[in-house]
Amino acid sequence: MKKLLCLAVLLTTAATAQAASQIHVYNWTEYMPDAALKRFTAETGIKVRYSTYESNEAMYAKLKVMGAKGYDVVVPSAYFVNRLRTEALLHPLDKEALPNFDNLDPALLDKAHDPGNRFSVPYLWGTTAIGVDRAVVDPAAITSYQDLWNPAFKGRIALNDDLREVFGMALKICGHSINTTDEAKVKQAYDLLAQLKPAIAVFNADAPRLPFLNKEVVIGLIWSGEVFQANSEAGKQVLAYVYPKEGPMPWLDSMVIPKNSPNKAGAHRFIDFILKPEIGKMISETVGYATPNRKARNLLPEAVRNNPVVYPPAGLIENAEFTNDLGPAIALYEKYWELLKTKN
Amino acid sequence: MTDTGWFKTLAIGLITAWLTVFVAVPNLLVLGASFCARDEARLLAPIFTLDNYLRFFNPVYFAVFARSMALAMITTALCLLVGYPFAYSVARGGWAHKNLLLLLVIIPFWTSSLVRTYALMILLKANGLINTALFDIGLIQAPLRMMYTDAAVVVGLTYSLLPFMILPVYASLEKLDGRLLEAARDLGAGPVTVFWRITVPLTLPGMVAGIMLTFLPALGMFYIADILGGARSLLVGNLIRNQFLTSRDWPLGSATSMALTLIMAAMLLVYSRSAKALSREADL
Amino acid sequence: MTRRWVGRAYVAAVLLFLYTPILVLVVYSFNASRFSTDWTGFTLAWYGRLAANQALLEAAGNSLIVALIAATLATVLGTLAAMAIHRYRFRGRGLVKGGLYVLTVSPDIVMGISFLVLFVAVGMPLGFTTLVLGHVTFCLPFATITVLARLKGFDAHLVEAAQDLGADEPTIFRKILLPLVRPAVLAGWLLSFTLSIDDVMVSFFITGPGFDILPLRIYSMVRLGVRPEVNALCAILLALTFTMVLVAWLVTRERTQK
Repeated sequence: MKKLLCLAVLLTTAATAQAASQIHVYNWTEYMPDAALKRFTAETGIKVRYSTYESNEAMYAKLKVMGAKGYDVVVPSAYFVNRLRTEALLHPLDKEALPNFDNLDPALLDKAHDPGNRFSVPYLWGTTAIGVDRAVVDPAAITSYQDLWNPAFKGRIALNDDLREVFGMALKICGHSINTTDEAKVKQAYDLLAQLKPAIAVFNADAPRLPFLNKEVVIGLIWSGEVFQANSEAGKQVLAYVYPKEGPMPWLDSMVIPKNSPNKAGAHRFIDFILKPEIGKMISETVGYATPNRKARNLLPEAVRNNPVVYPPAGLIENAEFTNDLGPAIALYEKYWELLKTKN
Repeated sequence: MTDTGWFKTLAIGLITAWLTVFVAVPNLLVLGASFCARDEARLLAPIFTLDNYLRFFNPVYFAVFARSMALAMITTALCLLVGYPFAYSVARGGWAHKNLLLLLVIIPFWTSSLVRTYALMILLKANGLINTALFDIGLIQAPLRMMYTDAAVVVGLTYSLLPFMILPVYASLEKLDGRLLEAARDLGAGPVTVFWRITVPLTLPGMVAGIMLTFLPALGMFYIADILGGARSLLVGNLIRNQFLTSRDWPLGSATSMALTLIMAAMLLVYSRSAKALSREADL
Repeated sequence: MTRRWVGRAYVAAVLLFLYTPILVLVVYSFNASRFSTDWTGFTLAWYGRLAANQALLEAAGNSLIVALIAATLATVLGTLAAMAIHRYRFRGRGLVKGGLYVLTVSPDIVMGISFLVLFVAVGMPLGFTTLVLGHVTFCLPFATITVLARLKGFDAHLVEAAQDLGADEPTIFRKILLPLVRPAVLAGWLLSFTLSIDDVMVSFFITGPGFDILPLRIYSMVRLGVRPEVNALCAILLALTFTMVLVAWLVTRERTQK
């Protein structure tokens, strides 16, 4: 009898040890460098099993039906952190287990999508603004999103296939909040966009730099990291990144722990590991976007640390509005998005 | 036939069981969802409503369905025009290694469709291979705009669906008895007559299968169309994806999906009835 | 006969059309540029990175295994189904045919989500098994409809004669029908394998944490740009496939020559 008990204890500890020795990370492909994952395993003995998704929306749907279990660390964008949080699908973070949390830049903390950062830790961030092909358009001549409506650019404009970004741009031109739920304001934005529609070449669903580098478009919306990486590789400034007077649209991807994660302790260790300055530096350099980690940023080479494309001038982000979850009002945006898309 | 052998029971039983569990049940779930109301927190509220279906009477949805249909029909027609002669030639062209040719047709499609689409993009883009070549030869002075056009979408879709026409058509063509064609020719029929009066009727089942397996999936495809076409308009696939994922309106998405299925079922039924009247071969 | 040569030229032309993007894909696996689709120079670096990219290779391996198993199961099930539909008049025959067509129309997303709900409801853990079940399901109509098309127009007398001679159902299936539909069975298998190896939407919803498959990895790269590493992987898979086909061809040729 005693032998059986011993065996049972042994087996259960073995099973839990197995479970405790791995974590499941759910993220975009290439958004976490392999080298970082390997180092984590080397330092802690915890294996990382990495799964991927191609959009926040799909990840949310899957997590919701699965009951927020199966994955230990997920990396949603800010407005999805909000959604997951308000639906009680996230596990509150134990800040005691995250000593490196203080490395983060306070300017990116305590935002509306997660007050007090109870559930999320910023991972990488960037902005969306206007991209311009330097060879064809003089960046100094572009000062506002409204410049996209210039007939000279007809048929050579790229927008992203993201209704929040496209409507966000139009709402900013009209002087409204990008998170408004007022139908009159959304309609106003739609009317503005309807004028632009015939001039748009593409609603890009993949890397925003491609239509520019393919010489299909000369101006449009683009993400900061795309411009930085394209220019780095070309060795010269092929694309220009222009902050319009209405302000860029910042975005933030954060790490969260789903409510029913199988290995919460491991998840915390992973997040704390990512918050190390040298890891933050590695991630930022490999992926090409801005790190929210102050100490990591100081480790970056001068040219990157003060590059206005990657790290916008302080004033621009302080009061900038982050895209937030709209709740059921998203249906309103979707309705006008459908109208926009089916319009000729 | 009053055969009650185990083999027959097995064959019928297996397929019925599989379809019940994996088609009937999920589709009943979807049907049920389509009559529910949207719920922010729980995705579905078990409140009966016809709202989701009533929203169809909306010019936007009509335009989306119409565009998807048109695109699917053009793609299928092209696949048939390109694929049928191909299958015919492989089946009856006296090749020594027919199976090898079939394999050659399908192997390109064992690579990722996304990577293949990017390869098409490299060919079609403004500074791409085709434009650069034409420019170097001196045939054009300014790049041809091929990306983000309807033509690019049709080319991309036809490219992706060609094997789904070629293989079923070939499988049916392969058994065509050459002696029948010879006999017809001996009786004085010209090549066109032989084709229309003998070859086509005999290979009709293969053609119908190929058309079904090309047209139906084409209706739901949108990813490749978006990359090559610029996503300036919506297809049914986009609509359903947006409803489920962006709007998080599962009942509406379910209703749109059901509507698509019902419209297709109605079309197939009409086709089946008229085909039965014409010939058994053309029946589904 | 000029007709025959026109036919051969046509086949070659279509194959050229099919392989041109493939050629581009392979050539660009040597492209030095990571961020653009412009050719910036020749490099073998991507193949080196691929060899070290365990996650990608594991995903590729998983996809291959799932595709092989799902295609085979779908073809077996589909052939039996086609035979049942063609030969037997049973109650629900119309529904079965209808069900198969419903499958072909079903949008991927709806299929994926409804399967996920089903699997979660019965408490089945997500992973290899659920993937195979899902893949077999959407491959089924392709195998069935292809075999069914071939069965039509076959001389029913052949089967009747066999029955008069006392053959039972399994024998009729094995000795008469199966040999007759072999090209369609092969076509069905090839189509199923093709569908399975590149499925994204359905697989996304029904795979489990820790069982990653290649198409998901690749489609998830879209936001940051697909690396030429993936081209390298596709090029290697192609090379492997061609080698296998060549070997199989040589082996069967030798056997027939002997």
